[in-house]
Amino acid sequence: MLVSNQRRSWMPYLLVAAPAGFLLFFFILPAASLLSASLMEYDGSLPTGEWTLENFELLLTRPLYINAIIRTFVVGGAVGLLVVLLSYPLAYFLVRTTSLWRNLLIAVSLAPLLASVIVRTYGWWVILNREGAINSVLQSLGMIDKPLIMLPSTVAIVVGLTHALLPYGVLTIMASLNGLNPNLERAAMSLGASRTRTFFAVTLPLTAPGIVGGFLLAFAIAISAYATPAILGGPSTEVMATMIRNFMVSTLDWGPGAAMGAILIVSAIALLLLTSWIGDRRREA
Amino acid sequence: MRAGRLQPWTLLVACVVAIYGFILGPIAITTAVSFNATNRSFFPPRGFSLKWWGEAFAPQWLQPLQFSLELAALTALIATIVGVPLAFAFARHEFAGKGLIRAITLGPLILPTLVTGIALLQFLTTIGLGRWMGYWALLIGHVVICLPFSVRTIAISLQAMPGSVESAAAGLGASPLRVLRHVTLPLITPGVFAGMSFAFIHSFTDINLSLFVAKPGQRPITVAILSFLDFGFAPTLAALSIISLLIPLLLVALLGRFIGIGNFLYQEQARG
Repeated sequence: MLVSNQRRSWMPYLLVAAPAGFLLFFFILPAASLLSASLMEYDGSLPTGEWTLENFELLLTRPLYINAIIRTFVVGGAVGLLVVLLSYPLAYFLVRTTSLWRNLLIAVSLAPLLASVIVRTYGWWVILNREGAINSVLQSLGMIDKPLIMLPSTVAIVVGLTHALLPYGVLTIMASLNGLNPNLERAAMSLGASRTRTFFAVTLPLTAPGIVGGFLLAFAIAISAYATPAILGGPSTEVMATMIRNFMVSTLDWGPGAAMGAILIVSAIALLLLTSWIGDRRREA
Repeated sequence: MRAGRLQPWTLLVACVVAIYGFILGPIAITTAVSFNATNRSFFPPRGFSLKWWGEAFAPQWLQPLQFSLELAALTALIATIVGVPLAFAFARHEFAGKGLIRAITLGPLILPTLVTGIALLQFLTTIGLGRWMGYWALLIGHVVICLPFSVRTIAISLQAMPGSVESAAAGLGASPLRVLRHVTLPLITPGVFAGMSFAFIHSFTDINLSLFVAKPGQRPITVAILSFLDFGFAPTLAALSIISLLIPLLLVALLGRFIGIGNFLYQEQARG
């Protein structure tokens, strides 16, 4: 750069001061105060300033709350797995195809990102409900007498979230496949490995970081998703996000709400550290 | 040999077709349902009628739709104005605390949006600004969660620009301000618009933050649809869902024609 750096050393601070102040006040401070308030006694919706572990104790002793927490992480894991399982073949196809329609196909596979989760989940409700698409098709074929009850259920939540988060998996794995050195695959094949063997011995292991990245991304978004569990689930399939909504808005019992928020914050940070640790290992390798 | 080679690929294509069915099925079914002649969301639709589409344009829904559009537009504008200096600082300068400030800026991508929402709700209430709930809290929250999108995209376009272009202009005698105005800014304009539209879309489709800080009467369309779902799944909601899908789609198609927004989406992911 032509401008001397010494003369302009105040420049970056001038650029970032106002935005950083804004974020400090409206993002960092609120998150920090949520974390600390989760360790305080609450009087309805206001923390009293008395330190206590009560909020967490409540969450970890009532089966209703423990079940919601466990269900949240099980759903997150299942969604992460399904997202990876479905997006890998799709990403592989999109990276390797020579089709003239390639760009259109990529656009279509990412298009769901443009829709609100509500739009994407609504279709699943139409498909799965008692009078829904699956039941009417099965009934008109005479395969069932009584409609199947598929809603509300945890499985429906997993299916809906997998659908909603698939594009994230596709993007992550496509990036990983694009970063692959094609010579490695060529070398394997010229040494006599079949296409399938090359895939399993070379391509798949080398894109493992992308798979893990896609899994973690889908997992992280799934554990804090609200709309899909709210639409496809019910009182028997509460997850942390729907519980937080109950605490904060319906019962105005902010203490346990803040504690659940704190659990989500800690999980997010743990996932971030895990992701960057895997990224570092990839660079070392 | 040849058949043996083709087989796995054929199998893959079959899988891919099924996955596209999975991706597009629910959206196609939602569209079909919106043309029901009955007032329930039957699929296959019973009869054909446009009345739910007419209903989707009633004031009850136009109001939150307009609210969402205005909120998203204002959010995108602010996120861009705030995002340009941040992107410049990150892409062009080395300074103490850069890593920390970058982490703060991109933090909203890491922290679940729902947590950002309840944190803002509780913080504003605790410091006595509870009356900000509603519009101001929504705007502030949306800027916070959309800022990373504009900053990253603008920073990418700054990094992609060869520095020699600016040096050349300066070497030919242009003042720093003229270089900025006539060289740098025109070159990053596509990136700025791409970032702006990512911010717009992220705000327009948000539910997790709005859910906690919106007030009745000032609700984005997503919150309005969600709270109406409690009363049943009327085909109007299907029509509304499609409308709120088409708006960002049109925006991207339009921008894609002019600035190739796809490249940015792609690069962004590749750079993590």
